[in-house]
Amino acid sequence: MASIVQGDIDNTWDDPARRTPLVTGDIDLKTVTDTVCGVAETEVYKTPTAWTIAFVISSATTAMLGLMVLYLFFTGVGVWGVNNPTGWGFAIINFVFWVGIGHAGTLISAILFLFRQKWRTGINRFAEAMTIFAVICALLFPGIHVGRVWMAYYMFPIPNQMGVWPQFRSPLLWDVFAVGTYFTVSLLFWYVGMIPDLSTIRDRAKTTARKIIYGILSMGWTGSSRHWHRFEVTYLVLAALATPLVLSVHSVVSFDFAVSQIPGWHSTIFPPYFVAGAIFSGFAMVMTLAIPARQYFGLKNLITLRHLDNMAKIMLATGMIVGYSYSIEFFIAWYSGSGYERFAFTSRALGPYAWAYWTMVTCNVVVPQLFWFKRARKNLVALFIASIFINIGMWFERFVIVVTSLSSDTVPSSWDYYTPTIIDILTLVGSFGLFFTLFLLFCRFLPMVAMAEVKATMPQAHAGHVSQPALGEARG
Amino acid sequence: MADTNNAVDFSNERVTLGDNAPRIATPALVVGALFIVLSLALGIRGKATFATFLRAYLVNYCFFLSLSLGAMFFVLIQHLTRAGWSVTVRRIAENFLATLPLMGVLALPIVVPMLLGVSAIHDLYEWTNAVLVRHDPVLSGKAVYLNVPFFTIRMIAYFALWCWIGHYFYKSSVAQDQSGSAEATARMQRLSAPAMIVFAFTLTFAAFDLIMSLDPHWFSTIFGVYYYAGSTLGFFCVLAIAMYLLQGAGLLSRTITTEHYHDVGKLAFAFTVFWAYIAYSQYMLIWYASIPEEVPWFDVRQQQPWVAISLVLLFGHFMIPFVALISRVPKRRPTALILGAIWLLLMHWFDLFWLVFPRAAHGEASESNIVAQGLATGEIVQCVLSLIGIGGLFVGVVILRMRGAALVPQRDPRLDESLAFENF
Amino acid sequence: MCRSRHWERLVDNTAGAILERPREHSSVRAAPGVLHALLAEFNSPGELRDAAGKVRDAGFKRFDAHSPFPIHGIDSAMGIRRSMLPIVIFCGGLTGCLTGLFLQWWTNASDAGVFQWALDLVTHWFQAFLGYQYLISGKPYFSLPANIPVIFELTILFSAITAVLAMLMSNNLPLFYNPLFNSRRFRRATDDGYFISVLATDPKFDAARVRELLTGAGGDVEDVFELPSAARFPKVIHRVGLTVTMLALVPLAVILMARYGKSPDPRIHIIQDMDNQPKFRAQHADLAFSDGRAMRGPVGLSADHPLGLTVARGELHEDSLYNTGLVGKVFAETIPFYRPELTADEHFVRRGQQRFNIYCAPCHGRDGAGAGMVNEHALTIGGGWVQAADLADDERRSRPVGYIFHTITNGIRTMPAYGDQIPVADRWAIVAYVRALQRARHASAADLNPDDLANLRNR
Repeated sequence: MASIVQGDIDNTWDDPARRTPLVTGDIDLKTVTDTVCGVAETEVYKTPTAWTIAFVISSATTAMLGLMVLYLFFTGVGVWGVNNPTGWGFAIINFVFWVGIGHAGTLISAILFLFRQKWRTGINRFAEAMTIFAVICALLFPGIHVGRVWMAYYMFPIPNQMGVWPQFRSPLLWDVFAVGTYFTVSLLFWYVGMIPDLSTIRDRAKTTARKIIYGILSMGWTGSSRHWHRFEVTYLVLAALATPLVLSVHSVVSFDFAVSQIPGWHSTIFPPYFVAGAIFSGFAMVMTLAIPARQYFGLKNLITLRHLDNMAKIMLATGMIVGYSYSIEFFIAWYSGSGYERFAFTSRALGPYAWAYWTMVTCNVVVPQLFWFKRARKNLVALFIASIFINIGMWFERFVIVVTSLSSDTVPSSWDYYTPTIIDILTLVGSFGLFFTLFLLFCRFLPMVAMAEVKATMPQAHAGHVSQPALGEARG
Repeated sequence: MADTNNAVDFSNERVTLGDNAPRIATPALVVGALFIVLSLALGIRGKATFATFLRAYLVNYCFFLSLSLGAMFFVLIQHLTRAGWSVTVRRIAENFLATLPLMGVLALPIVVPMLLGVSAIHDLYEWTNAVLVRHDPVLSGKAVYLNVPFFTIRMIAYFALWCWIGHYFYKSSVAQDQSGSAEATARMQRLSAPAMIVFAFTLTFAAFDLIMSLDPHWFSTIFGVYYYAGSTLGFFCVLAIAMYLLQGAGLLSRTITTEHYHDVGKLAFAFTVFWAYIAYSQYMLIWYASIPEEVPWFDVRQQQPWVAISLVLLFGHFMIPFVALISRVPKRRPTALILGAIWLLLMHWFDLFWLVFPRAAHGEASESNIVAQGLATGEIVQCVLSLIGIGGLFVGVVILRMRGAALVPQRDPRLDESLAFENF
Repeated sequence: MCRSRHWERLVDNTAGAILERPREHSSVRAAPGVLHALLAEFNSPGELRDAAGKVRDAGFKRFDAHSPFPIHGIDSAMGIRRSMLPIVIFCGGLTGCLTGLFLQWWTNASDAGVFQWALDLVTHWFQAFLGYQYLISGKPYFSLPANIPVIFELTILFSAITAVLAMLMSNNLPLFYNPLFNSRRFRRATDDGYFISVLATDPKFDAARVRELLTGAGGDVEDVFELPSAARFPKVIHRVGLTVTMLALVPLAVILMARYGKSPDPRIHIIQDMDNQPKFRAQHADLAFSDGRAMRGPVGLSADHPLGLTVARGELHEDSLYNTGLVGKVFAETIPFYRPELTADEHFVRRGQQRFNIYCAPCHGRDGAGAGMVNEHALTIGGGWVQAADLADDERRSRPVGYIFHTITNGIRTMPAYGDQIPVADRWAIVAYVRALQRARHASAADLNPDDLANLRNR
């Protein structure tokens, strides 16, 4: 493991005349390779204690998740707190939460790529991995919540003995396709992007086992320019595909709510609002993971303060979009004149779940305002704590949407207060265990930073390239 | 990338319109004013014709307002994201900011009839009719917001803010031509963030006020975003056309490269898809829940003659441009791109026509049986007249504005980056 | 080895340039120890690009540049044509789009009846593949707005999979063995080195000339040879691959065996799914009882007690007149007002009126004349409907109240029994109202009070 401990080099300055260096410390290409590969190349018995302890804790939490899920399967959905009228509870909240977190990875990989934001190269591998693990955690919930789990195959268009097919007009089924596609495409994008880096590790591998494993995974990549050409075209196309995909996935998830007639749910702004919220929470999670990772894995020169600064700004922007959506929903709820809509919104702020609502508003609208200030954006502690609060807030946003609208909908005689059970809570905690276990494994054995892409942004990549301010060729 | 802020050598390049500007602008302004007067004259004959005039005027007003706001969004986002590619074309967008005060003045034909209580405006905006509002519990409930004085105050507020923002960004950028100061860029970047927030809210509420309140029983939370999507798309098309025309006139021939066209094309493509996504979200959610309060707005647009426009939008505003602009080839051929841009601009006009014109026929049937009002020839004529009218003034103002400063921010610190970048 | 050359030619001939089958990689393995290529290392991307340009200008085709990241401008230096992958990917996406469209139409909107001919031809097994029309919320069977999300997702999915597979195929990857890996120095190609390789199989290849060209361009040249030994592929991979393939076939075999195998034993029932519950079913034995039957009749069943001796709580109707309208076989002549539940006042009759209008009026009409809406409609349909009785006719007027009560409770002819729906007290209230209706339809002027009479006269 690279044990270079340095102070943070401040590359957050803004000189309009030149772009700030994205790789600090005046390091060369070889150092980049050594830093990133060094983590993956550490022998198993030399794994640092910190990683091992973290892994043990997260594995234990995952084991707890396994127990909760088994208990659920053998006893039934009654072990959860869902009941009339709140038929949807933690399962869907957690599902939407995790899918949302996954969106930042695709935004960083795909959308920032299309916008030619070179700073994405420091964090994109990291974020894409986070996406995949988040989507795995997300897919867990629809899988386990169906009651008769052994019939979960009904969700897929497979011919069965009853001659019945899935109901394609249901947004819950669109979810199956959307999240399934999202998982597959993210996995492909992540993996294809990793091939050159895996070949780097392969070429440095000392043991036969490593040579074979990384050799197979890297598919014989030689860095050929002809291959790079097709690789780049494919990467561009995948990025162009992943962009509408990421917009569509959380839009489809929002359709779960928005197609209904329930006050507080049926709002046309849900799709872009959910997507903005997803990006918001996703970036917060990337921040939460990146700050310790760059510290413990010695990646400070690759994931620099500039990266964190940019991430904080994106969080501020998406947080403002979320705040905008809250305001417009509130305004239109009043404007619509519908007593049910108006009630839904006042009940959120003043009703029995006011505590959840105000937690959400504080964490989602107030906390990101911190990021207006450059000093806050450079302060790692502030960033770390703020990102955790933002994730808490985004979880509560889904809680508020699901629970307040269901627990007090149009028929007062049906109202009831939803209380999650301990199983609900432990399952949520357990899903974090699954996420962190997978993530720790990724950090340990796979290249955390997209080395090839980072190298392409360094000045050494343009050596011998003469550039001068000049006008182009005249258009004929 | 150059380290120093050396000025790029523009000595062999024409970068100002100079005195050609008034020569082109004046006829445009005259034609514009003339057509508006003509349209007004045709309208003023009676209540029904005046309502027609107002409606046609509103379509074109909202169309050109969307282009102005699209320009503002473009300028703000380029500053906010510290964009490098767009520097050479940003001044063109900044020139379009001059149309904001014009649109403020052109709002008078809508606001003044309201203030005067002209009965034709009741045909357009039901909520201005105090008698109707008194008898309608839903409208009475919103009367706190939908009333003429508050509407007027809001319009003044929107334009005050927009004109101020537009003026600030234009002036700062032009001043930088002389000073070459990097601090100007930094200041514009800092201000663009709060300006963007102001833009988001003012555009949303302007869309609510001008367009959504045409059917005051209807509501859609995504409406502001819908108008925004169309306006940004419209502006990218206008920008491409402006770039083409300016280069056609021999200006900026080496400053604007194929790469800039490619990028503008990419953005136009992206916002075609974005517009379709927003339009689909709005439609599908209302279709699916089928709530009586929300359905009539679409019901009317699914009846003759409006269903034809709906289909035109589906195919013309999304499917055809999607397939046409997906490849990089047309995006890198300015002529092809401009054809696409003109097409999309036309489609954007149809979008606004589709937003404003379709309505339920009065006095027909019940809540459950809505019959759409048809389209008369007079209405089409008025649409064309006010299109040329407002359009002439719009174009004239932009070109007049181009007289002053250079058409490219000559001493912007990121100019060389903009000239040198290449698309993959 | 000959097969790969043959395949290459076949692909070239049929598929043309679509997949740009690379010719720069020699898939023909030369004899061991033969020179494979000349490899030159350069110091910077700029140098590499310039050198690549020189090699291309010299007319070589089977050469390549290697770098840890894509180098700006090297495509044009080497003369690499823009890839046609986007077109292939577009086709893949279009396939996905049409698949999504067809899938949803077929499964949710297609009418199986159209395919009756197929049903008749093949076994029931085919039925599993036929579509089933769902009616959801009154939306059309084929609802394009609702079908868009899945169409969109499948378009993206197919495009992405096509993209990755096409890219790998056109790059001829995975290609685990490449003689270039025999060069130790070449490992830097994925780290921080820049290389050019010129293959010995290039038609213009001449070792000395190439070496001179590359050295002149600033490169550090090295010879790369094929491996001296023929064994290049680790045997363990063969074995592992074979084992995994065998293992993968096992579940399939098990399924096929289970599906088509014959056995006298019942199938293994892993997930009980409430199929085998600890309860007795009809026709089963239970040896705890003397007659060995699990099905039991009511307790105390005998000729004297045809319904047994057990009575559910609230069901002990000792007052048969009140509860059934009968005492023995005689119908009650008067309404049992001795019961506290019934009071002989206007309120009671009003209650009867309200209950009559709810339960009886649909068939008998509000006036009891038998022209209720259900009756009228049933008459048009026909099919065994008996005209609802006119409750005020002579026959009904002569019936005792107990008879009317009995009819309400048990039904008569096509009239169903209302005993389960209407509580006993309400039934008596309805009886009272029926009597009121009968009186009303046969009233004389003397029955009216003076005010009503005056009103009637003044109409």
